Amino acid sequence: MNYGLHLGALWPSVRAGLLCEQKYGALLNNFAAADHVPEELELLNAADFISEAPQKAQQWQRSAAEGEAAGGCEEGTGEGRTVVQAGMVTQAETSPPLCTSISSKIKCYTFPRGDIMRFRPARPDALGLLDYYLMDAASLLPVLALSVQPDDFVLDLCAAPGGKTLALLQTGFCGHLAANDISISRTKRLHQILHSYVPKEVRETVSVTSYDGRVWDQVKGGTFDKVLVDVPCTTDRHSAMEEDNNIFHKRRTKERQMLPMLQLQLLMAGILATKPGGEVVYSTCSLSPLQNECVVERALDIAGSQFNINIHVEDLSHFRTLFQDTFSFFSDCRLGELVLPHLTANFGPMYFCKLRRV
Amino acid sequence: MILRRWGSALRASERPRLSAPGRLCFGPALPRTGSAPGRLCPGLILSRAGCAPTRQPARPEKPGRPRPVPPLGAPAVPGSRPLRAGGRSWPGHPGPTRGHGGRLRWRRREGAAGGSGAPRRPRAVSWPRLRGGGGAAPRASARSSPALLLQPRLDPERREAAAAQLLLLGLSAEAALALLERSRRCCGCPRSDSGSAPRSCGAWGWTEVGQRAGGRGGHRGLPADPLLAGRLQRAVSRCPQLFHVPRKRLEAAVRLLRERCLFTAEQLREVLGTCPAVLLEEPRTLHHQFQYAYFRMGVRQKEMVKARLFRMPFAELRNRHIFLERRGLYETPHKGQTQTSNPKLKDIVQLPVKDFLASLALSTPEEYEVFKKLLAREEEEEEKEEEDVDAQYTEEDDDLDR
Repeated sequence: MNYGLHLGALWPSVRAGLLCEQKYGALLNNFAAADHVPEELELLNAADFISEAPQKAQQWQRSAAEGEAAGGCEEGTGEGRTVVQAGMVTQAETSPPLCTSISSKIKCYTFPRGDIMRFRPARPDALGLLDYYLMDAASLLPVLALSVQPDDFVLDLCAAPGGKTLALLQTGFCGHLAANDISISRTKRLHQILHSYVPKEVRETVSVTSYDGRVWDQVKGGTFDKVLVDVPCTTDRHSAMEEDNNIFHKRRTKERQMLPMLQLQLLMAGILATKPGGEVVYSTCSLSPLQNECVVERALDIAGSQFNINIHVEDLSHFRTLFQDTFSFFSDCRLGELVLPHLTANFGPMYFCKLRRV
Repeated sequence: MILRRWGSALRASERPRLSAPGRLCFGPALPRTGSAPGRLCPGLILSRAGCAPTRQPARPEKPGRPRPVPPLGAPAVPGSRPLRAGGRSWPGHPGPTRGHGGRLRWRRREGAAGGSGAPRRPRAVSWPRLRGGGGAAPRASARSSPALLLQPRLDPERREAAAAQLLLLGLSAEAALALLERSRRCCGCPRSDSGSAPRSCGAWGWTEVGQRAGGRGGHRGLPADPLLAGRLQRAVSRCPQLFHVPRKRLEAAVRLLRERCLFTAEQLREVLGTCPAVLLEEPRTLHHQFQYAYFRMGVRQKEMVKARLFRMPFAELRNRHIFLERRGLYETPHKGQTQTSNPKLKDIVQLPVKDFLASLALSTPEEYEVFKKLLAREEEEEEKEEEDVDAQYTEEDDDLDR
């Protein structure tokens, strides 16, 4: 897979981003008694990109509409009026999705574009729960896309090491969360995170299992409202920097070549685990279309032909508008969205796509 | 490996190394210019290579062009600790070779024995005589020189001191005059500096090798073809700060350029002509810069001279080169590879930042600014890490330096 061909003129920036230090976001722990933290972070010039996004996006839209209106007025008063009206109409149309998609309690602070400051390590509060979790802020986008509603049954099919699982719990809406991962060693890390961040009563709503995700439908089929399938992938950023056990080593070639197949099987299992009307979000941290769009397209095929399941791909383009200030998005994905690393906003790579089982 | 799969493969120079558990390094570490000048960066492979030349294993002189000595990947003293755990030397070099070719005719001045081996020219003093080649010194009669020295703004003491110093150096009256006229500052140099100034000029040994008597075997000094001496004189006159540089440093710099960097005499003249400030640099930094360009960028001396490499501060060169490298636009050539699609060193060094970004790096100023900050932080942390690693060892350094 030649990323240069796929990304074109964007590739040099992405490559430089992958080879430089990545940027982190601080996912606030709503369960910790840490009210001073937002203030502390704001003093450092960090901001919660999730809550700031709709205001910023509305500003963008307003200025864009004004720009159009101004241009229209120059031509003639009659035309100008219609342009202004059109601008206002589009604003009204697009704002509902903007608002609803981020009505979640997830809060994540990031430094502004171009700011390379680092966060201090997390500190425990009086009860021993850490105040925030440092992670790639782009990893929150699949969780936001899933938009968990109150009392939902949620499945995280490849949960370890647990960043996205923790974010799901931060919404406070999970009626029950099933966190599964085939790797026992990585599941240990998941347990550690749950112990460090989540109080006992909330941990009881989480069930951690170690099944092979591909056979999940045999365990429990068609019972979940929301399913997150964050599949194992070539982890491009990690692979560019770490030599140890790199997936691109010769001895792991077979494994790497089998990845798309594994990812497809996991996605199918996730789809089958969703109840009708439920939603699945597929995500990877790779730039490769072979692991991203191709897998989703194949899954849609198989679900339709073999299982007679009708699936609708949800449009996430409003994410690009909402979060354009924080992340650098790729605008030419056939399906789903892709966050590209860029030196000024060195998050990602993160691909995510939302499917709804009709 | 993903690094090789991508169209422009990441070179070994870019591959990360773990010099301490869990710590990522982003490439070979290099000191930032100006940081602790003169201090040995012990973890740096190439600093060892620079200071322990005699410890290299004796190799037969290879025919053909002599090559600069690369940074060593292993300590010169067997059994001592590795310089950098898990470290690698810069790639692409076959290994240390040392050949001095027959072209070098370095002779070093020794003490005051300038010798009057110049039968054709009578010498007023036994100091070596400046060959005023190149016509840098306009002729003026000795009679008028005192008049010129009587410039109203200089106090007599200083004028006298300056004139005496210059004449002591063996400069002809005309040359001294020219220098005094050009550099007012030189005339104003305080007495305290006077110690170093004459030595620095004289020490370059405006000697004529050909006219020396035999029996100087083993001494090294400057090849005194007249053009070179003239260039040096011009360099000094253009860049009077050179008077204030200690003699040892000047000698070391020129010797470095000739012996370690293996510039030809012609190239050396060119370098001194275009970048006289090169002699102001710490020889170590100069050497680092040269080695960086030679091994990491794969550029040869000819191109370095043409591009006026030493005009650019080392840190800026690293910024620009590593920016290109990480964007996949510059690749360290393999051993023996002569054709690359790399941008020319001339463009990298001489283009102003805006043009460099627009035409070579294909990037924006914001991106470049962030990159420079990130790179500076990376290098700072690597340096700190090196210090921490070294602090764990209690061996004395002079073991290796002898």
